[in-house]
Amino acid sequence: MNETQEKQFGHRIRQILNQGTHEVRPAVAQRLAAARQRALERHRAEPALAWADNATGRVGWAGLALRVLLPLAMLIACAGALYTWQQNQRAAEIEEVDALLLTDDLPIDAYLDRGFQNWLRKHDGEQ
Amino acid sequence: MGVEKRAFKQAMFAVRDEEAALDIVQDAMLRLTEKYGHLPLAQLPLLFHRIVQNAIRDWYRRQKVRSLWTTLLSSLAPGRDDDDQDPLETLEATDGSNLQAAPAELLQQRQALEIIEQEISRLPARQREAFILRYWEELDVAETARAMNCSEGSVKTHCSRAAHALASALTARGITPDPKS
Repeated sequence: MNETQEKQFGHRIRQILNQGTHEVRPAVAQRLAAARQRALERHRAEPALAWADNATGRVGWAGLALRVLLPLAMLIACAGALYTWQQNQRAAEIEEVDALLLTDDLPIDAYLDRGFQNWLRKHDGEQ
Repeated sequence: MGVEKRAFKQAMFAVRDEEAALDIVQDAMLRLTEKYGHLPLAQLPLLFHRIVQNAIRDWYRRQKVRSLWTTLLSSLAPGRDDDDQDPLETLEATDGSNLQAAPAELLQQRQALEIIEQEISRLPARQREAFILRYWEELDVAETARAMNCSEGSVKTHCSRAAHALASALTARGITPDPKS
């Protein structure tokens, strides 16, 4: 068999094999068509996803605000509220101590007098 | 047109198992679109053939490992009947273009096709691969060499040997696939 005969032979076999593709069972043909469709859908979906990724970086401010800026703003607001509450608590404690000191029978100067503290310590030792 | 059907048939020639052949073609199509979807369309057919051939080779590798286990476990497994085969499946009508042909002629064509497919299945893997890519898929020698990852000389040798072996086998079985027949 020379090259030309081989080509003729190959061509004839091709024709017969092509007939064979019609003999594929309908169930198999359907599964193949479905697989082809799935592959094509995935092919179409990929460029769309790539575009969406780029678009978010450039013009997707609405998405960016919703996903990043809003939680950040909420975090800052919470931190601010916590700080204010702590400051108020501290002021209230100081106010309370002040009120107790001012309404006490013992004069306020007694706490500032070192001699009084020394006297107290000495007095404790004696008892 | 019908690329997936031809790929399925090629996989069937090699693996002789419908489910495995379907898996091979499905995976190959998905791999083509997922990994090479960005490439120019003209490059895709060749890549698809390459992916299919590689998938067939992978299947053989996996099959070697599996057959080892099957051999080991076959003595323990109970005998299986062919109950799950539907006898009605053999009577299924086909939607081929040659339904108008006379029954005797149709039968003859089918028998010829069956014998040719059987003989193609029997060819050595590389010879079958080269012959199918070259003559069924109509790739030229250079394209076939790229798809098979071998030299153009090897493609010519494989094709020539395949054509000789196939022609001899078909003649022995009373089939002469020349244009006059």
